[in-house]
This record gives sequence, structure tokens and C-alpha cells, in this order.
Amino acid sequence: MRSSRILLAKMGLDCHDTGVVVVAQSLRDAGMEVIYIGLHNPANKVFQTAVDEDVDCIGLSFLSGQHMTQTRKLLNLLNDSNVSRPVVVGGVIPFDDIPGLKEMGVAEVFIPGTPTAHIVKKIGELCQA
Amino acid sequence: MSEKFDLYIRGERVEEGETASGIPIKDVYRPEDAQMDYLHNLGDPGEFPFTRGIYPNMYRGRMWTRRVQVGFGTPQETNERLKFLYEEGQAGFILTIDLPTSYGFDSDDPLCEGEVGVTGVAISTLEDLETIFDGLNPDTVSASLSIRPPVSAVSLAMFVALADKRGIALDKVIGTQQNDPLFQMSGGPHQTIAQFFPWEGTLRLCLDNVEFISQNMPKLNWMVTNAYNLRETGVSAAQEAAFAIAHALDIFRLAAERGLGIDSFAPRASFFSSTGIDFFEEVAKFRAERRIWARLIKERFGAKDPRSWRFRTSVQTAGNTLTTQQPLNNVVRATSELISAVLSGVQSIHLSAYDEGLSLPTEESQRMALRTQQIVAYETGLTRTVDPLAGSYFVESLTNQMEEQVMSLIDEVEKVGGLIKAVRTGWLEQQINDARVKRNRAVESGQRVVVGINRFTTDEVPEISIHHIRAEEWGQKRAEYLAKYRRRRDALKVENRLREVRLAAKSSENMIPVIVSAVKDSVTMGEIHQAMREAYEFKIPE
Repeated sequence: MRSSRILLAKMGLDCHDTGVVVVAQSLRDAGMEVIYIGLHNPANKVFQTAVDEDVDCIGLSFLSGQHMTQTRKLLNLLNDSNVSRPVVVGGVIPFDDIPGLKEMGVAEVFIPGTPTAHIVKKIGELCQA
Repeated sequence: MSEKFDLYIRGERVEEGETASGIPIKDVYRPEDAQMDYLHNLGDPGEFPFTRGIYPNMYRGRMWTRRVQVGFGTPQETNERLKFLYEEGQAGFILTIDLPTSYGFDSDDPLCEGEVGVTGVAISTLEDLETIFDGLNPDTVSASLSIRPPVSAVSLAMFVALADKRGIALDKVIGTQQNDPLFQMSGGPHQTIAQFFPWEGTLRLCLDNVEFISQNMPKLNWMVTNAYNLRETGVSAAQEAAFAIAHALDIFRLAAERGLGIDSFAPRASFFSSTGIDFFEEVAKFRAERRIWARLIKERFGAKDPRSWRFRTSVQTAGNTLTTQQPLNNVVRATSELISAVLSGVQSIHLSAYDEGLSLPTEESQRMALRTQQIVAYETGLTRTVDPLAGSYFVESLTNQMEEQVMSLIDEVEKVGGLIKAVRTGWLEQQINDARVKRNRAVESGQRVVVGINRFTTDEVPEISIHHIRAEEWGQKRAEYLAKYRRRRDALKVENRLREVRLAAKSSENMIPVIVSAVKDSVTMGEIHQAMREAYEFKIPE
């Protein structure tokens, strides 16, 4: 069983990367392979990288309110191309938006204050599923 | 259950024997710990090296400015919120802008879909700024624009144009122009600086601003370092102080290289700092910063004007200490940080609202923030004397230790080649990432307690009303507005102005006057930036 591979990315103009950097480190500490492609990634870049790198899971990070628009773009690409990978979203996500993200197809939403150990566990499970 | 109560009855030990910056703290401090040389290391407030405060009577002479952060959606909505806050007693405001504007894009640029008006107000035209300032004049209203080069060159030009149009002399304009080229965009990665505009252009416009302001606008402050945004990444108080000062030293060096005299630009330079939750460490930090700054500016730059020696700072209470869970707890945190800031003798304070972990502030949460400041200012008596903690064996010792740690970090940065080099080589990003991971581990392990997160948690979802994002609506309104705006203007004039902008960008002249003319002829924020990118032959990576 190979180790889990996860792609982490930020999309849109948001520049707050503390959360994603810390999660990336925690996932690496847990033995997962993490590909972090930084900020301002358009949906097609996230999609293409996920395919090229053959990842098990995609994690998106948002603070500045663009989570619905950008997540939808990525999920549309995945659906249209029949590429199925679990997508998780982390960051400052209003409680009211969580159901909407889940309906779109997001597997898990991690808000501030979530213990990193919990995030690592959930992502691990999704990767190995 | 009884195990927990047994512990409480016996009394828990305080486990953390160090400040967050790693300075070990003793059980008890005595006179010999203070190492006080009043004449050389403290001085009276208002006297070199200003450890006790930059003015002789501080708040007795003038209360700190109580600022509130404002900005969302359209200029009209922002103007309405501003008027509400003035009614509620704000003394000044910080104007926050949306991400498209922060990167120099017009609201209708396709790159900005879903982001218009979300993190702040959209400003694409001179008319937008005029709308925000409807009923408010830049010679009586103190605004601090939360912005960075290259965009701060355009916003400054818009301010100048606004003043001109209202017949206000430039030497009467007050407020602060934020101008930090490095830390403004969340203090984080290199990508935020380099992705959408060339480094060379960013630094050049930073200095154009400093030059223009120092030559034409003697009452306008300019912010040299946004240490608050840097601190929010998770670096320590000592790192915040060291990197803020090292950053300013680099900018000052560049300004001096341009031929600007130190005393022509230093007096109005200011900092934006954080006030974290470690109460006494913050006080020590500010006192040490004042002492360090005064000496460095006098000795390294030969500044002769005493106003150049003063470390002036506005602060925001630390957003990263606030939690999404149990938001009302944040009122307590912000209050403690506020008191820390007041005892530190800062010039202006913005109190983070209790819903910081959820969204932009609502009217209610902003009113609460203002009331908190007003209660501390008017009811507690904290303002009656300057630097009341002076002479405390503990505080003087901690100030000295903080100074040592900060100076040693400044030396490390200098060895790397200065702060700008430290950013460009990735050295600073490494420091930031190390600090973030360390902080996270401390919280994860429970070593650092955060109430509501790793102790005393509840499962309830907060029931407070929060600000709602209407990005699609704002995006649409702004697109319609900009389409009309572009149709209304003289296309030939716009072409000519853009040509002038490109030429000026290629030359070494100060660009502000050319940009002023451009915005007056209705050239937009995005168009000016694109013209400058073209002049610098810079393409945004796909």
C-alpha cells in the first residue's frame, strides 16, 4: 500500500497561507506525500496537477470568502472530466456555507480551531478509501 | 469528573515559564533585576531614547486615536457604514479594500470573479474614492488606507486628486498612507509580492510615495512597515519587532540612496503593529522598540530632527489570538490586548471585533469594539499618567531582555543582507514557517492553552448575526458601473494619459503627478497598473 498523496492548493486572490502550510507540515509528519502548489491557482491548474501527480485527495484552503465560487469551478472540472477524487476544504468558512459545499460534493470542511490531528486522520481515511 | 475537580481544589500550577518569544520569566523580580539607568536607558517620556513614550504627556495631552476597520462591497455602502461609525464615536478609520483592488485590478477583471467587495471595498476609479469620502474631507477626517505599493501610488494619487477637486491644500491633508511593499498581503509568501507586479516597480513606487509625501504633504503619515500583518503569520513578538525595524532600515536606506534627506521623510514614518495576548511581553516589546529605533535612526542615519527619532505606531489587537468558537470570549481577549496597548503608549488603536474568526465586522461588533475602547479610555483612569509600568522590576527587566533578543535578530537579518534580501531569498519565509509550525504544535499538544479550542470547549454553533458576503451582487453592480464609467469618459484623453504613464514608468521621474492627471481624466486603477506592467515588460504568469 503506497503512502497517501495529497494536493494542496489555494485558489483565487486569497493570500493567507498559514493554515495550509501548517496542515501540509502535519500531513508530511504523518508520512503522507504532500504536493503544495501555492497561491492563486486557477481551477484548471489544480485539476491538471491532481491528474499529473496522480493524487489521492485534493485540499483547498480559503480565508477571504471565495470558497463557493472557486470550489464549484474545480468540482465542475472534475465532474466534467469524470475524474473522481475526494475534495476537502479548509479555512474561514461560514457555518451557513458548509451544507452548500457538501452538496457540491466536498467530502469534508475544516474550520478554524479544528485540531490538526483530526484533519490528518480524516484526510488519511479519504486517501486510502 | 472528580479528578478534574480535585485538580481545581488543589490548584493547577502555571506551566509556561516563558513568554511566547521564549524569554524565561522568574517567580519574583527584585530591584537588582531592573538594571535601570534612568538617564541613559529610560529618560522622561518625550525625551531620547523615548522608552517611556514619544510625547511628554501622552494621553493626558491627546487620547489615542480610536480606529475602526471599515470597508466592504460598493463605495456607497462603505460610506454609509462610515457615517454610522462617526455617529458612534470613532475618531478615525482604517479603510480596507478588496483583494482585486489590493492587486491593482478593476472590479470587472475576469481574475476577480467572486472576490469583489468581499475583504474590503472596491476602488477602481477616482469617483469611487470620492463616494467613499462623501461628506468626509481628508483635512478633517483621519483615514488610514490599508494598501500597498504598487497600488498605494494610485490611491495616493486619488487622494491628491480628491483634495485638489475639493480645494483642500495638500499640506492640510491628514491620515496615513500605508506603504509597505512586503508584508501587506498577509505577511506571507513571496508569491504575494511577485506574482502580479514586478519587484522593481513595487519598490520604485514605494519610494515615489515617500518622496511625494515628504515633499508635498507634511501632515500625512506614511506607514513604512505593516508589522501587524507579518505578526499574524505566527511569528513571535521579538520577531515582529526585529523584522519591522529591519524592514524600515532597508526602506530608509533606499530613500537615502535616492537623495532624500533622512529628516525629510523620517518624521512622518510610522508603523502598524500587533498587540498579542501575552500581556507584559507586548509592553516590553513597544518600550524596547522605541529605545532601539531612536538609537538606530540617530546613529546610523545621522538624523538630527528629534521627530525622526520617534517610533510612532498604530496597533491592532491580534486577530490570530481570537477564536471562531465562542466568539464572545473574544471581547475579553481584545480588552486585555487593548489595556496592554494603552500601557505600551501607542498612538492609535484598532480593536479587533469579536466576530473576527467568522467574517468582516457587523455594525454590532464594531460598536462593541468602539465601546470597549471608550470604556477603557474614559472610565478606568489608565490614561492619567504616562508609562505607569516604568520602574517595575519585572517590566524593566523584560524590556531589556526583549531589546537584546530584538537586536540579535536584527543582526541576523543584516547578515543575510537586509530584510528585502531576506524576503527575496526565502530566508524570512523559512523563519515564518518555522514559527507557524511551532505555534501549531504548541496548541495541538495543549502546551499553549487556547480557551474554547483545546480547553473548555463546547459544541454549540455561535448564534450571532454575521456579515454576509454578496460577492455576485457586488460583482455585477461594479461591472455595470465600470461599463458606464468607461463610456462616459473622453477616450482620447485616456489614451494620452496611459501613454504618459508608460513613459513615466520607463523613466526615473516620480510617477505620482502623472498618475494624478490620469485618474482625473478617468483612467481606472486596473488600466494604470496594466500600463505600468507593460512599461516594465512584466507578464502575469498564466
